[in-house]
Amino acid sequence: MLNNKPTWPILAVTVGISLTACKILPTQSGGGGNAPAFNPDKMVDEIWAAKVVPYLHQKAGPFPEVHALAQADPAAAGGKYGNPNKQANSPWTFAVRLEGKIVAANTQSRAATVDVDIDGDGKADARVQIGPAVRGTALRDSLDFIQFNDFTNQIDFAQFGKAFNTYADKTVLSKLPRDALKGRSAKVLGAYTLGSGQDLPLVTPAEVEIGPKP
Amino acid sequence: MKLTRRMTLAAFAGMLALGTAMPAYAADLIAIITPSHDNPFFKAEADGAEAKAKELGYEALVLVHDDDANKQSQLIDTAIGRGAKAIILDNAGADATVAAVQKAKDAGVPSFLIDREINATGVAVAQIVSNNYQGAQLGAQEFVKLMGEKGNFVELVGKESDTNAGIRSKGYHDVIDDYPDLKMVAQQSANWSQTEAYSKMESILQANPDIKGVISGNDTMAMGAYAALVAANRKDVIVVGFDGSNDVRDSITSGGIKATVLQPAFAQAQMAVEQANDFIKNKKSPAKEKQLMDCVLVNGDNAPKLETFALTN
Repeated sequence: MLNNKPTWPILAVTVGISLTACKILPTQSGGGGNAPAFNPDKMVDEIWAAKVVPYLHQKAGPFPEVHALAQADPAAAGGKYGNPNKQANSPWTFAVRLEGKIVAANTQSRAATVDVDIDGDGKADARVQIGPAVRGTALRDSLDFIQFNDFTNQIDFAQFGKAFNTYADKTVLSKLPRDALKGRSAKVLGAYTLGSGQDLPLVTPAEVEIGPKP
Repeated sequence: MKLTRRMTLAAFAGMLALGTAMPAYAADLIAIITPSHDNPFFKAEADGAEAKAKELGYEALVLVHDDDANKQSQLIDTAIGRGAKAIILDNAGADATVAAVQKAKDAGVPSFLIDREINATGVAVAQIVSNNYQGAQLGAQEFVKLMGEKGNFVELVGKESDTNAGIRSKGYHDVIDDYPDLKMVAQQSANWSQTEAYSKMESILQANPDIKGVISGNDTMAMGAYAALVAANRKDVIVVGFDGSNDVRDSITSGGIKATVLQPAFAQAQMAVEQANDFIKNKKSPAKEKQLMDCVLVNGDNAPKLETFALTN
């Protein structure tokens, strides 16, 4: 390792020279499939700590409050906790925080989840994704600074959505405990998309803490 | 006297025959151009657009390009020549269409694209497309659930030249590939065709009798595959489609195909006409050119509510 050190200044000089001798061309896009410059994982990596988490912290409302308002008046809930730049016919996606007790866990599926009781009545109020397979694009869709119009096509936009899930799994979810989850406490910051089904609201976390075994 | 009259008549007849040389007479025309109506999906689009255009007081010119870019170019000439105020277009190729839409724009005719994107922005006024990727993820999630997260499966892919074929396949794999116990034993294109799907499924089944599921890029191929499975006495195989056609709805309610994904074709076409109307009357463009419409999963729970590419409440 020590031996390598002196080579760095030389490298820097070489790079400096080669830059002046070259013409910088814009990356070619279009043609076949994805432009090589499009790297959704890197894009998410760059904005996660700087923009995504601060945005969610600032925007998120307590889950029971958000969900109650969303049931009664989705547009009002959207104005307060949702992404105002969403697609016209898409359902609202809300930024939420929640804290409660895990009353059920499904770790058989790769799309693993925990059901959380927030109001203390013993019944689950929300289902939180804990990966490794993470469904949907709630994290992407909760952010008002991300717009489909800025992407070349649906594929790029979708891969960008997936990159949020991958990042959350890699940096947060994969570190969570998997056993004896029932009865533990859970604290989550994340997003969920208003669904029409009878299933529990499905929250995709950006931050999760799971407490010790009771 | 007689001679001039005859000449006038002849000239008038000539004008009628040409059709394209009468811009001044078609003050309130909207052209609606889609692929062939043989596929009920495109018929629903054209019907939805036509109904909305008439409701808003326009005359509608409904044309089909049969997925032929040259024919599409000619139809756009016809629309320009007829003095159409707007073109509603489900296009015949993401690259080939750019020039045709530009031609219309240069002639002062705005285009409103539905269903399929083109590889350019700033040429059409609007591109309203189904979120095929989101829809494919919904279909794949249901498929994964039905499969119990494991087993061998087959994927039938659509026509390669149609961008939506690739988008849906990517969306499927985006979900399915997260499950290592799901193994794809065959992946073939059946070009959106029911008959081709039938014969492809027959031969795939011979080579891979141990399959548990088939995920298909559209409903017509799902219908073909399911028919082949029934003929081979393999009704146990799980089939999932995409589009939300009435044929697949009927199959779902009678316990055949398990699920599909509804594209809001009818609503989408109507939305495009509304935006065209706003543009013609108020010179107002939609807030965003590229607009995505979410798809909806259709399974046994909501299939009875499905009718002509729309869910009733």
